[in-house]
Order: sequence, then structure tokens, then C-alpha cells
Amino acid sequence: MSRLQLAALVASVAGVAVSIYLTVLHYAGVVPGCPVTGPVNCEEVLTSSYAVIAGTAVPTSAAGIVWFGVSVLLWTRPISRLHLAWSGLGLLTVLYLVFVEIVRLGAVCLWCTGAHLLVLVVVLIALTMWPARNTLSP
Amino acid sequence: MSARKPIKKAVARAPMRKPVAGTPAWVMPAAVVAGLAVVVAGFLIVRWYTTPLPPTAPSQDTTAQVIMILTTLPASEFDAVGQGTANNLIKPVSGTALTGGTGKPEVFYYGAEFCPYCAAERWPVIIALSRFGTWSGLQTTTSSSSDIYPNTVTFTFRNAKYSSQYIDFASVETTDRDQNPLQSPTAAQQQVVSRYDTSGTIPFLDFGNKYASTGATYTPDTIGGMSWLAVADSLKQPDSNQAKAIIGSANLITAAVCKMTGDQPAAVCSSTTIQNLEKSLK
Repeated sequence: MSRLQLAALVASVAGVAVSIYLTVLHYAGVVPGCPVTGPVNCEEVLTSSYAVIAGTAVPTSAAGIVWFGVSVLLWTRPISRLHLAWSGLGLLTVLYLVFVEIVRLGAVCLWCTGAHLLVLVVVLIALTMWPARNTLSP
Repeated sequence: MSARKPIKKAVARAPMRKPVAGTPAWVMPAAVVAGLAVVVAGFLIVRWYTTPLPPTAPSQDTTAQVIMILTTLPASEFDAVGQGTANNLIKPVSGTALTGGTGKPEVFYYGAEFCPYCAAERWPVIIALSRFGTWSGLQTTTSSSSDIYPNTVTFTFRNAKYSSQYIDFASVETTDRDQNPLQSPTAAQQQVVSRYDTSGTIPFLDFGNKYASTGATYTPDTIGGMSWLAVADSLKQPDSNQAKAIIGSANLITAAVCKMTGDQPAAVCSSTTIQNLEKSLK
């Protein structure tokens, strides 16, 4: 396992941890500790209608557990198209959630941003490793 | 048909290009990061473009007109709306009865001028309490420009006075709209807040320590981008979104106050609407 692959694995595990933390707090009805300064406001984001998957009572962070969980499994294997596809799905979801935070809510949740950055790390690693894989396997 | 075959063969035999061979590994990630930066910048521009500007403060005459509309809504309007679309956040609490300076049961408001939810909730508070007494010193303001639901039009309680033969009213606006410190609760008020507003959510309303609520009973978006007068005018139409939210919330608050006053005055509390809402408060 290369260093980059290990880094992606660690980022995915960290993402699972953050997502579980946010999901547990959601069901406990508690807002995570987070500074409230101007647009940085976890409470605004995590108590908004966007904090649950549309039409359900399932917190968005639960989807994070699934995405990062699958990512953990993927990164125990050699890089393939599946890594890129899964990363792309993650990146699109993050873009939507950032859109919601900035445009719809005007508030940013630091814990969510942490999870978004972990997705970005995984995406960047997949993109970095993909060309190397191409030259190794013609 | 047969003439097409050689063309197909030529295409099929064209040498395949290695798509990324020779491209440094960092190019694609760097391009994605750059693309993301552009997209996020785009989001910020959209947010800036769609954020309503702080409305111009109304003249004294207009302010008086708005307050007149709010405090003289006919009983038929309240009955027509009922709970409307208001979210009932009023919960029963137990403790020593909260009384004000004149010994009457006290309604206590704890919030801040920057807070959009407080901005939303002051409308129904003003309307509901005007059915039990008289306001003076209400001033117009807006919520923070940099928070969620920016520049929500409202009033501030910072210099407000309220007199009633049934209840007392006390308020604390902890900060101004720029989050500079403004007013501090007394030790007794802080005790009430600590006991009943454990999540620290504002606005917090205490109804004589019989009932309490935290948060806004409707979303501030309901009056987003509207002027004070436009909001007041919309309340004259029971089927408007604003009336359903604000008057519905005012009816809930009225029901809680009626519980405090032993259903006095009867002209307000004996209406079927308020009686039904009182039952929903338990």
C-alpha cells in the first residue's frame, strides 16, 4: 500500500468518525460545539431543513457514514475506475452541500466543512494516483 | 453501403492515444482545486447578489402606522387564522411563578438584535401582548446583514415600555445587530434563562414560569426582503403567508398569556380560537 493510498484510507476513516459524531448528536438533539461568529454557525446548518435527507428524517451525516465507509473499503484495494467514480459522487455531493451552506443558508458548519475537506482529500488522492495507474497497467 | 466499409476500417485502425501519459500527476488535482475555488467564488457571488440590502429605516409616521396596524388587528383576523402555519414551540414548565415589578405575572423575552429568529418572533410578541396592554418606545431595526436571513425587518425591545393591567413584560436584548454588547440580564433573569433555556437558543420566551419557548415559531424567510409596512399590510389578509405565520404565532402566545392571567380579559381569552389553542398547550 502506497503512502497516498494510506492517506486516503486515513481520511476515509476520519470521515466515518466525523459523520458518526454528527449523526449521534443529531439523534441526541444536541448541536456540536462550534464557534458562532458571523457566517460560521453549526446550529444554523444542523437544525435547518437541509440537515436531513429530503423527504426523510435521516440526517445528511448518515449519508456521510455510508460514503466514507465505502471509501474505506475501496482504499484497501488497488486504485480502479470505481475509486474515481466514487470520488466524483462525493465531490458532487460536497458541492451541493456547500451550495446549500453558502447560498441557501448563509451559514457554514465547521464540522461539515471538516467532512467536506476529507472528501476533497480523497478525491485529490484518487486523481493523483489515477495517471500513475494508467502508466503501470497499459 | 459497401462504400462505407473502408472508412470504418481506417477509423478502427487509428492508433490509440495514451490520454494522460506524460501529464504530471499534479495537473488534474490542481485543476480540480482551481475549479472548486471558482465554483465556491460563484456561490459567494450568488449569495451576495441575492442578499437583500438593509431596508431604509421608515419615517416616524410610517413606524407609527405600522405599530397602529399591528396593535389594532380585529378579533376576526385572529379567528380567521387560528394557529395558521405557526410551529407550536411553547412547552409547559414548572417553577416559582415569575412576576414582574408590579407583582403581575411576567412575560420575559431574551434575545438579541442581530438574531433573525428574534427578529421574526418580535412581530407576534408585539401583536399578542398588544391585546393585553399598551406598547410604547418600539423602534424599528433589522437583523444582522451577515447572518442567516439577513436584514430581516423587525422592532427592538431595547427601549420598549409595556403597560398592562394583567401582565408585566421584561426584555433583554443582549447585543445590537452588529453583535456589540447591549443589555445584560439581572441575576434573577439569568437564573430563568439558565433553567429553562438549557440549549442557549434565542429567542427565549418565559410565560410566568408556566410556559416557555425557544426559537422562532415561523421561519424568518416568510418576511424576507419585505419592508415593515409591507409586512404589516400583509397581516390584514388572513390568507397571506405572513398572516398565517405571524398571526398564528401571536395566537399561540396569546393562549399562553391567557393561561397566565386566568383567561383575562375575557374579550380576548374566551374566543373559540384561543380556547382551542390553550388546550393544545396542556
